[in-house]
Amino acid sequence: MAIRVDPENNETRALFDMANFGGQHVLEIGCGDGRLTWRYADKAERVTAIEPAAKQIALAREDLPSQLQDRIEFHNIAFEDFAAASAPSAFDIVILSWSLC
Amino acid sequence: MVHALEEIRRLLKPTGALIDIHPMAESSPIEIHQGGKIDLAGYLSVRQWCIDYQQADNALAEITQRGLFAVEREGVFDSLTHYASVAEMRTDLKEAIDKFARDAQSAGEAAPHAEALAARAEELMQAAVSGAELILRERTHISRLKPT
Repeated sequence: MAIRVDPENNETRALFDMANFGGQHVLEIGCGDGRLTWRYADKAERVTAIEPAAKQIALAREDLPSQLQDRIEFHNIAFEDFAAASAPSAFDIVILSWSLC
Repeated sequence: MVHALEEIRRLLKPTGALIDIHPMAESSPIEIHQGGKIDLAGYLSVRQWCIDYQQADNALAEITQRGLFAVEREGVFDSLTHYASVAEMRTDLKEAIDKFARDAQSAGEAAPHAEALAARAEELMQAAVSGAELILRERTHISRLKPT
């Protein structure tokens, strides 16, 4: 059996208490293997998820549920590089989850 | 970290929000749950070796003081990591130390601490009934900040 992180959904509940994801374009910084991404992505309009660790982003791409494929983009990139290449005012919500940038 | 938060502000729409989630800078209990009771194997003292989550708190405090963001809402919850075995916990802690230790010296000091916790957890799991669960409990802070 694999490690199970937050099967109680405490984090998901706390996240939904903080934001309504309906119709929102979300940037998730440090998405890791997508553990948190799967929990809210079906509510968002679009998710851009970035992660500098190639191994983690490969896991996220591998596990991407088919129903979320047209909604989530994964990028294997450090935040500073992503930010440098991004236009201002592009996102409704930014999630900084267990990440120090 | 402060520069990253300035960049996040630039990427956010003026009506947008930053959601920050990070563990609080304190020790996290490692617990064995069985038959409705909880035995404590010990505390994972992240503060001693981990890159400083206190820095994250300080950076957030600085950007709010500078008026770049304002805290709209905040809360605290427990994030529980369930391990199927002590071996799995050992591997996870080792990977966490490799990834998050401040430096080689901190990593060297953290390894025996993690191993002592794993050994204690092993003793308790061996004495526990079948179906006992090994759990790391991390107190976690979440906040919603709006660009100002």
